[in-house]
Amino acid sequence: MPEEPEVVQVTDRNGVKLVRILTSAILREGEVEALGQGLLSLAEVPGQRVVLSFLGVQHLTSLVLGKLIHVHKRLAESGGELRLADIDPHIFEVFAITHLDRLFRIFEREDEAIASFAAKPEA
Amino acid sequence: MPSRPTDNDPARPWTEKVLPTQLEAIRDAEGDVMARLEEFAYNEDHQFAIRLAFEEALVNAMKHGNHMDPARKVRLAYRVSPQCIEIRIRDEGEGFDPGVVPDPTVDENLHRPCGRGIMLMRSYMDTVEYACCGKEVQMTKYRRPSQGGAKP
Repeated sequence: MPEEPEVVQVTDRNGVKLVRILTSAILREGEVEALGQGLLSLAEVPGQRVVLSFLGVQHLTSLVLGKLIHVHKRLAESGGELRLADIDPHIFEVFAITHLDRLFRIFEREDEAIASFAAKPEA
Repeated sequence: MPSRPTDNDPARPWTEKVLPTQLEAIRDAEGDVMARLEEFAYNEDHQFAIRLAFEEALVNAMKHGNHMDPARKVRLAYRVSPQCIEIRIRDEGEGFDPGVVPDPTVDENLHRPCGRGIMLMRSYMDTVEYACCGKEVQMTKYRRPSQGGAKP
């Protein structure tokens, strides 16, 4: 089986893991799995804060939504959190229709999402 | 192709394909569909909506209908006109009742990793109907110049 190209790029920004998706459309099973594994590996560190940037992503299916939900749960179990950013309006509509905008904190830009982890919690 | 289109107007022929049960085959299949939509100048909102519903329906056919069994096939038929796109997708599974799929938007189901495909199809297409005991889905999206994406 041919090796899947890299799907995500992970960098550290002030203790927050910034994950950027490198493909504009996530459909192939290998891509979905690679995205999931890339994110789940971060959940191995307790309290890991993760921002997933959708910059450049123009299309996805509910397979990806399911993977994000799974990752969100695993991170929460280890005291961490997944926040989302740079979501194309069409894709944001998918989150809204499925009410997943209630489950995930979504920001317009990755720097806002990263900064949100430093902000004090609302009273 | 076991599934029969609602009519066989020679002026609006159906394109029929038999796909292997592999998610990779979806991208190849949608290439021609998207090209036809471009040809008829369907706008960006329409294209996003149709592509999403198309992929969701094929994923459902492969994963839930055919259980990713490589011995099973998915039959696809579609036709595109300036007025609308009609899509028929049939799997070789046991069938199911779409009426019993739980609502993924209620709070207790939000954390479920699956169950959103049909809901997205219904949100983005104008009609979604199941036939042959749930083994075939028939979808239509009308091209209205002022609209495109998810239904309000």
